[in-house]
Amino acid sequence: MTRQTALNKIKKEIEDIVSRSYGDSALLLPKDRMPIGFFCPFVPEELIHAAGALPFRLMGAPAQITHAQAHLPPYCCHLVKSSLESLLKGELHFLKGVVFSHTCDSMKGLSDIWAHKGLLSLQFDLMTPAHLNSGRARPYFRAEMERFKDFLESNVGKISPDDLKDSVRLFNRIRERLGELYALRRGLIDYIPGDYFARIIRAGYVMDRDRYLELLEELLDSLPEQGEAGEGDAPTPIYLAGNMTHMDTYFSLIEDAGAVVVGDDLCSGARTFRLMVAEDQDPLEALTERYFRSFFCPTKYLSPQAHLDTLVQEVADSGAQGVIFLLYKYCEPYFFDYPDLKSVLESKGVSTLLLEVEDPFQSQEQLKVRIQAFVEMLGLV
Amino acid sequence: MERQAIPNPYRKIQTTAAYRRLMMAYYFMVKHPRWFGKKVAWITSGGPVEPLYAMGVLPFYPENYGAMCGAGRVSVSLCEEAEQRGYSRDLCSYALTDIGSNLSGTGPLGVLPKPDFLVCCNNICGTVIKWYEIQARALQVPLFFLDTPFIHDEIHDHTLRYVEEQMEGYIAFLEEQVKRPFSEKRFYKVGARSLEAIQLWREILELSKNRPAPFTAFDAFIHMAPIVTLRGTRWAVRYYRKLKKELEQRVAEGKGAFAREEIRLIWDNIPIWYDIRKLSKMLSAQGAVLVGDTYTSAWAHEGLDVEPSLAGFARSHLTTYLNLGLEHKLQKMITLMEGYGAHGFIMHSNRSCKSYSFGQYDLKREVTTATGKPGLVIEADHTDSRSYAPKQVERQIDIFLDMIRGQGQA
Repeated sequence: MTRQTALNKIKKEIEDIVSRSYGDSALLLPKDRMPIGFFCPFVPEELIHAAGALPFRLMGAPAQITHAQAHLPPYCCHLVKSSLESLLKGELHFLKGVVFSHTCDSMKGLSDIWAHKGLLSLQFDLMTPAHLNSGRARPYFRAEMERFKDFLESNVGKISPDDLKDSVRLFNRIRERLGELYALRRGLIDYIPGDYFARIIRAGYVMDRDRYLELLEELLDSLPEQGEAGEGDAPTPIYLAGNMTHMDTYFSLIEDAGAVVVGDDLCSGARTFRLMVAEDQDPLEALTERYFRSFFCPTKYLSPQAHLDTLVQEVADSGAQGVIFLLYKYCEPYFFDYPDLKSVLESKGVSTLLLEVEDPFQSQEQLKVRIQAFVEMLGLV
Repeated sequence: MERQAIPNPYRKIQTTAAYRRLMMAYYFMVKHPRWFGKKVAWITSGGPVEPLYAMGVLPFYPENYGAMCGAGRVSVSLCEEAEQRGYSRDLCSYALTDIGSNLSGTGPLGVLPKPDFLVCCNNICGTVIKWYEIQARALQVPLFFLDTPFIHDEIHDHTLRYVEEQMEGYIAFLEEQVKRPFSEKRFYKVGARSLEAIQLWREILELSKNRPAPFTAFDAFIHMAPIVTLRGTRWAVRYYRKLKKELEQRVAEGKGAFAREEIRLIWDNIPIWYDIRKLSKMLSAQGAVLVGDTYTSAWAHEGLDVEPSLAGFARSHLTTYLNLGLEHKLQKMITLMEGYGAHGFIMHSNRSCKSYSFGQYDLKREVTTATGKPGLVIEADHTDSRSYAPKQVERQIDIFLDMIRGQGQA
């Protein structure tokens, strides 16, 4: 098989999975694993997987909101609105259950409403501590992980230590391969443009994980060496900050403007690379421990400086010339941090652009103009 | 057609004069702590204040300050100060008011009292974590964070243990800040006063189960300040004894807060501070009285231990109204509706408080199903009047009261 044929085959499989609606994607799921929904990377996918289920991440769907407003106030983000909309429309009925983790007030409220509707037979709230810099939080979270394990064992399947170790290894390998791909991508944009990369990541949250790892490995094997990639004007390096992207086209907009995302802190992106789990210790302990290793999410407290220091360091390491903040409207945790993040970055000579998105399907042209102007401005600096 | 307003005079509470003196004295002390040899800590409204008083530290409540700015209608300009520095208008207006005030050095208190340290407890919302991080950076002071995991359904032993252990950490933090050992004896005394004030506050609120109600929710919104800020002091106990006595006298004489009380209502959420007076007038003109609410009753903890202890306070901080799930909130609303013999309820969908407002639409349906009484959701913001359409709300309330009358419930 030629390289191009192999790449095309991989792309077709990825596209086939991510282009489907929730309901349609259920047709492609492995029959031997019950799908369990989750929203946030704080939920240990490894445990769900080790119990014999398929962790299925809900990342917000392109949805016209017609049902959710009877339950939610207008001042909540698209992820919350569109997820409840999908539930109420019956698009998530293929899920056997859902796992919430404690993050922001909106997700907390969504969990309550979700439970109240009782449309899925299983629901679990994993109460991740908000304090990441406290010795007292560790035993608490360990007990929460035990409670989650008990819930899975009662409702899904027994979790043997060996199965859990295997799942930890599988998810670690996936993160490693994604990390390699992430690093390579900068020089191979023609092969893996940003919107395709976003779809690769998205596929990894909904498909059979063993097959996903195979796909990533096939993809890495099929890519040309960096030197083989076409020569051209080097695109402007950009760092993308925010929580998650529900539209793959954000990356296209950035690349069409002559820039490339060289780093990000999206919880659907590079932030998850910080979730590696130690393989040489008790897996439940290791799963607990990883949440305390670094600043992961602005809903959590590590120190007043943690978000600033982490972002400044990552931007510097990435070599980005500018930072684009892509934030959901009504995302309080990120918007509270934004002015100080902007200020500290700009004091270090890094320009920033804020893109506030509510319904991602309404503002493409406006976003395009603003991104183009920002990238042009960076070129003049 | 406009309804003809029939005069319905309000009976002033005489103890209000003592309230004003008390709060003036409190703010004077907080503004000039060094004169009294005190340190100042900024603390969230659900935070454990008793250990602060036990250590001789004066608490300052940015949320109370936000309410003060809202009621004084100066919040918008302070929010705008924060917005000019890049803060989104969609953020909590209490936080924006405090941040704007701190950045500009303006507001009803002038320059805010500089804290020696901050104490943040997330038992009311996650917003306070971000808010206090910002202020810790701006003011360059230490921050103690008490993490109280949300209780969706039941309290687990490990959750309770986590909060109890953090209370011990809190004491160690205070000892380090104040450079003095924690006195169990002193804490016991402060804790006993706190429990007595809570008990008095609960009894005061429950007096409005009488018909007519001697004390409305609008009164409670004002008179709640000492139970928040001075809980644990003898001043709060003395004040609430005095207030209770006056209200008991009203009950004995069969006098209500208003001369006419035809419709009894329950309020849900933080008040619309800048419109309290007008809303009260508008409701009372139609013989409607807010007899109870979920907000001020959050400081009337039920099921507290009789003896003060760190463990008991840990539990009470974990189980505040806003740290409990929808089913708990539903039970609370039903209890209030039935206990106060209410004809209906008004829910303030508060743009600034997701923690309070998410789930209200489902709550409204469920409370009506359980009690047979109607509810109304109005949209506003607790301090930012830019998000409030008063005429529209007044019209909604008019229709709602007509509906209650039409159903023959009042």
